[in-house]
Amino acid sequence: MDILLTNYFETGAIILFGVGFATLMLHRNLIKKIIGMNIMDTAIFLFFIAKGYIKGKEAPIITDSFKGVSNYINPVPSALMLTGIVVAVTTTAFALALTIKLHKHYNTVDLDIILRMRGDQND
Amino acid sequence: MINYIPILNILILILFSFIIIIVKNNKKVKFISLASNIFVFFLSIILARKVLTQNIITLSLGDPNNLLGIEFLISKPEAVIGLIFTFVMVMILWYSNFYLEKEVSENRISFFYLLINILLASLLGVIYTNDLFNSYVFIEISTLSACGIIILKDKKENIKATIKYLIMSTIGSGLVLMAIAYIYSITGHLNISNIHEIIITNYQFHRNAVLIILGLFTVGLGIKSAVFPLHSWLPDAHSSAPTPASAVLSALVIKVYVFMLIKILFRMFSYEIVNSFIIMDIILLLGSMGMIFGSIMAIMQKELKRMVAYSSVAQMGYIVFGIGLGTISGTAIAIYHIIGHAVTKSSLFLISGLLIDKTGSKKIEDLKGIGKEMPFTLGLFTLGAFSMVGIPILPGFISKWYLSLTCIEVGRVPLILIILASSLLNVLYYFPIVINGYFGNDNLEGKIYKAKKIPFINLLPIILLVISMVVIGGMSYNLIGLFNI
Repeated sequence: MDILLTNYFETGAIILFGVGFATLMLHRNLIKKIIGMNIMDTAIFLFFIAKGYIKGKEAPIITDSFKGVSNYINPVPSALMLTGIVVAVTTTAFALALTIKLHKHYNTVDLDIILRMRGDQND
Repeated sequence: MINYIPILNILILILFSFIIIIVKNNKKVKFISLASNIFVFFLSIILARKVLTQNIITLSLGDPNNLLGIEFLISKPEAVIGLIFTFVMVMILWYSNFYLEKEVSENRISFFYLLINILLASLLGVIYTNDLFNSYVFIEISTLSACGIIILKDKKENIKATIKYLIMSTIGSGLVLMAIAYIYSITGHLNISNIHEIIITNYQFHRNAVLIILGLFTVGLGIKSAVFPLHSWLPDAHSSAPTPASAVLSALVIKVYVFMLIKILFRMFSYEIVNSFIIMDIILLLGSMGMIFGSIMAIMQKELKRMVAYSSVAQMGYIVFGIGLGTISGTAIAIYHIIGHAVTKSSLFLISGLLIDKTGSKKIEDLKGIGKEMPFTLGLFTLGAFSMVGIPILPGFISKWYLSLTCIEVGRVPLILIILASSLLNVLYYFPIVINGYFGNDNLEGKIYKAKKIPFINLLPIILLVISMVVIGGMSYNLIGLFNI
């Protein structure tokens, strides 16, 4: 229990990951699935950035004078997650565009109903 | 100069894809795309020749001291897989140059070539890279562009298949990224070689974390490469896509992720580490299940392309089975099956496209007597089917034979029964097409000999693929010797 509380960033990230994963897996509504996907990605970003963060240290941007290596946080995870955010945004945009198309063709965003319909029935 | 070929390959393809957007004329688009792919194919030949004499090429990008570990590493398996993949891609593009109009509307054709160029660039990136985060980015690019080439055919079922594929692979990439976060937190590196050095001495202290990482990578990449219980997106996506796109998806895209899994399991960890966890037995079980159930589900299909797609699930089972044996020879056969199946499955899909186009029906039962109308085309299909079933010399047989030998080598003889059963099941769904096509009096009644002949020049890409399939089968002994990770 103590470990969970001291590493509260990781604990929170894993709980968020679970929430996102459950939303993605269990909900039938496509919009909610996409929301779940975003929560899951955000949880990973939090987990990753927490790995590079050191309490009380600054971001490694030199403004006035260089304060020594030990005074800055690790910038690599933040830089990586910037790319991760871009990827997540692209995927979300594509998924939302597909949802609009799907709604046009099937008049619903409920994945169960869509999967039950045969695709070539009323083409 | 030769050391820079990997990054050149990727940059050339992406650069030409941006030119394709600007060009409006479809004929020019086809020419540009084919030319850039042929150029990349020749560069891959030069690269492969260099790697075969020199063993390993590393190319570190970014900083010269390689502190961040962003680098490409090309050893023999990467070079050969890259070469075969670019070859298959050139053949598929050649085929699609005269075929694509039949399935895709005129104004979307340039998008296909645009996406294909980006797709091949990202696939080569996943193959070449030695950096986990780069591989994640390339995996995402390839997933999105693969979704793009499915949805080119603007039908209801395509949109449904694409959204299913997109959601499944988002789960997969989320798990992969989580695994990368875990491995970064216990090693502090993203470069596969650097991680290997650290983890080989420290893994006893992080056994639970390593088990979680292995599980996340296996499931995440397993979803993307359609390993058996996670395959539910594959049949829809691969059967509804336009035929050249199905060939690309089935022959190249799903293979790349499984190759990434091989690199992670055996290059990042090692045989010793992964064999001390239960994960290898699970992978072996998934592979065996895929070999059996993939074939059983293929037998039940009524549509030709769906059947070929389910056959891909079964063939992925062979690759995963080879990995699951957890020996150097098992992995070598898995990699051999990756290239053998890439060539075979692409030719089978391209032929199915021609058969469906000429008969005008997707159903298998409408193919009766097709052997009299298109004898040569069905003959090529038969050769591909022979390889899948396991007739000697062809790659499918070689994989099965060496897999059986490896089973004996590791002392798991009962597993040979699974390989045998899977081969017999393959016979059950490939041979009816061939037999009904060529023989039987009621089948051939009313069919005119060579009535639906296809011009030789249009068949040439498929013929080249089939010839290369036979060559890969014939050179199997030398090839398998190269693939030691």
